[in-house]
Amino acid sequence: MDERLAISLEGVCKKYCKSLRRSMLYGLEDFGRNAVGLRTRSEQLRPDEFWAVDDVSFDVERGGSVGLIGPNGSGKTTLLKMINGIFWPDRGKVSIRGKVGALIAVGAGFHPLLTGRENIYINGAILGMSKTEVDRQFDAIVDFADIGEFLDTPVKHYSSGMFVRLGFGVAVHAEPDVMLVDEVLAVGDHGFQVKCFKKMGELRERGTTFVIVSHNMHAIASFCDWVALLNHGKFERYDNAYEGLKQYAKLFASSDDAAIERLVSAGKYIEFRDVELGNRELSPGQDFTATLPFHATRDYEDAELDVAIFDARDPGVHYQATNRAYGKKLDFARGDGKLVIRVKDIRIAASFGRIVFAIWSKNRTEQLFWWRIPLEFQPVEAATGKNFLPLEFEVVA
Amino acid sequence: MTAVVRADAPEKTPARDELAKSGVSERVVTYLPDNSLRRGYLSVFGDIARELSRTHWLTYQLFKRDVVSFYKQSLLGAFWIVFVPLVTLGTFVLLKGSGVVAVGKLDAPYSVFAVLGVAVWQLFSQGLVAGANSLVLGGDLITRINFSKKSLVIASMGRSVVSFFVLVLLSLTLIVGHALAGWQYQPPAGVLLVPLALLPMLLLTLGLSFYLALLNGIVRDIGTMLSMLVTFLMLLTPVLYDKPEPGGVATWSARALASLTEYNPLYYLVSAPRDLVLRGSISELSGFLASSAFALAVFVVGIVGFHLTETRIAERI
Repeated sequence: MDERLAISLEGVCKKYCKSLRRSMLYGLEDFGRNAVGLRTRSEQLRPDEFWAVDDVSFDVERGGSVGLIGPNGSGKTTLLKMINGIFWPDRGKVSIRGKVGALIAVGAGFHPLLTGRENIYINGAILGMSKTEVDRQFDAIVDFADIGEFLDTPVKHYSSGMFVRLGFGVAVHAEPDVMLVDEVLAVGDHGFQVKCFKKMGELRERGTTFVIVSHNMHAIASFCDWVALLNHGKFERYDNAYEGLKQYAKLFASSDDAAIERLVSAGKYIEFRDVELGNRELSPGQDFTATLPFHATRDYEDAELDVAIFDARDPGVHYQATNRAYGKKLDFARGDGKLVIRVKDIRIAASFGRIVFAIWSKNRTEQLFWWRIPLEFQPVEAATGKNFLPLEFEVVA
Repeated sequence: MTAVVRADAPEKTPARDELAKSGVSERVVTYLPDNSLRRGYLSVFGDIARELSRTHWLTYQLFKRDVVSFYKQSLLGAFWIVFVPLVTLGTFVLLKGSGVVAVGKLDAPYSVFAVLGVAVWQLFSQGLVAGANSLVLGGDLITRINFSKKSLVIASMGRSVVSFFVLVLLSLTLIVGHALAGWQYQPPAGVLLVPLALLPMLLLTLGLSFYLALLNGIVRDIGTMLSMLVTFLMLLTPVLYDKPEPGGVATWSARALASLTEYNPLYYLVSAPRDLVLRGSISELSGFLASSAFALAVFVVGIVGFHLTETRIAERI
């Protein structure tokens, strides 16, 4: 492996079995073959097996940090476990330089009945520290975990925050050369998260290499040099983290015309036709316009318009209001006309969404229109989060 | 000594170079499918020896975790170790007294004979059950942290070793008690060889545990089956009774048991340490030596097999 590299993956694959029963049988078969010194032919798929990680190759330089992103089940955790040496590749080659540490399910080795002090030693040993190393780092760990007087209390009486802090404390003080981080940044209060990032910064300064899995896009974007986007076991590299995040968001939706759901376009006495939609790739500050020409054979007075914006990734409504929120009455007169809806000055960024327009007659007795339209909210360089607010700042002498 | 200073070197480089010079953590580890096999069988022994010496502190910590946590939230603690053997012993005393079972001709009070037997036997039975379940119980750790799984299996022997010492204390008490009551007993010099005579039993238990732990990791039937099996084995092995004599007026079943015992390595491994305590010498030395060789073979095959296959356990457990 090249001197400058900390991690090198060459065509790495990992397969899983969908059926538990077959998995047991395959397990016995593989064990048997290995035990008598035969190859397992792991590069071939047997019935019910599939590639969870498929031909992933990348290098990480010493001191670099890479973010692994992708939807659930895309193979991020499996890949991380292979770098850790917990899972061995079924095909390809994983090379790691130096000691690997992991912030994966911190505190996994803690025994609830043992005290904090006892668990520090046991966990340190499991994480590959020697007795002298634990002795040397003991005070720093206790200090970092901020458990003070509870040091000699069984950890089952710890608050979940203390538990995580202690686990994190041991893991970061194991001083690994390669640190694997899986979703642990989501735990603990904000004060602790700040502390974690500070400590990770210190390790980075020391030359520790990082591989981070997180759904916290801000953490990924701000901490990582580049991102690897995994999807169905396949992988793509994005040197610009923001570009990677954008592609990631794209996995959840597509804004092509076919994806528009036109559930209802007419009522008993009204029909909307030749609907025109404005630009659906929106940057913060732009407007989205929809023009709905209609032909009515009677008057619809005091109709109701619902507008809702959903985020493709998160459940729940991002925004929802009716025309009444804007103090505006909606009347469709008999004959031909046009309803123009303008969503002004968009403040959403780096996300995929769907906007729903629903029109009802008075008192919602009849549904006249219901369309769901995908929208693409463009990311802003160096910004994450779903809202992009106009901000002003200046340095005053 | 030459120092090359590059003006264009990035700021961080010195720190990394220092790290490189320290050399401690610069080992490159490579994971390939069927890794151990590529390097040949002979390298396996060196790898195992290095791993065991590197992880002895980890093994000790896991052992401590297992033992301490077991007794911590228990009011009676060590009493439980003595309790089960005492109940078994009491039952046998009762059965023997009523003439339902014959324990054979003994050269020691029955309670001393039986407790010594149980002390050695449970090294095997309790150790095997704990060993076979060690990977399953540690499954959560195995799938999250990369550490020596051999340590986990070895450390699981801890509780049975602790039980052994408690039972030794119990038998010492019994010996003193009987001696005060008039039993003629003087500790023979052979007692000093007891630790050595126990070694084969430990090796056999560990060797079997390595295999059973892996198998139990894949199919849980092993653990279920094993608890029943050890009870059954204990009744078939002369632990609480003396070896049946093949000659005499024996029925066919007594003859069957006698020949079974003849080829039962567990019998020799249990009786040898007991003989050393009670008589000062091993009465069936060739049987003991053959059993020891068998135990050693099981251990070597077990640990090598474990080493070759343990990399697959995390994905199946």
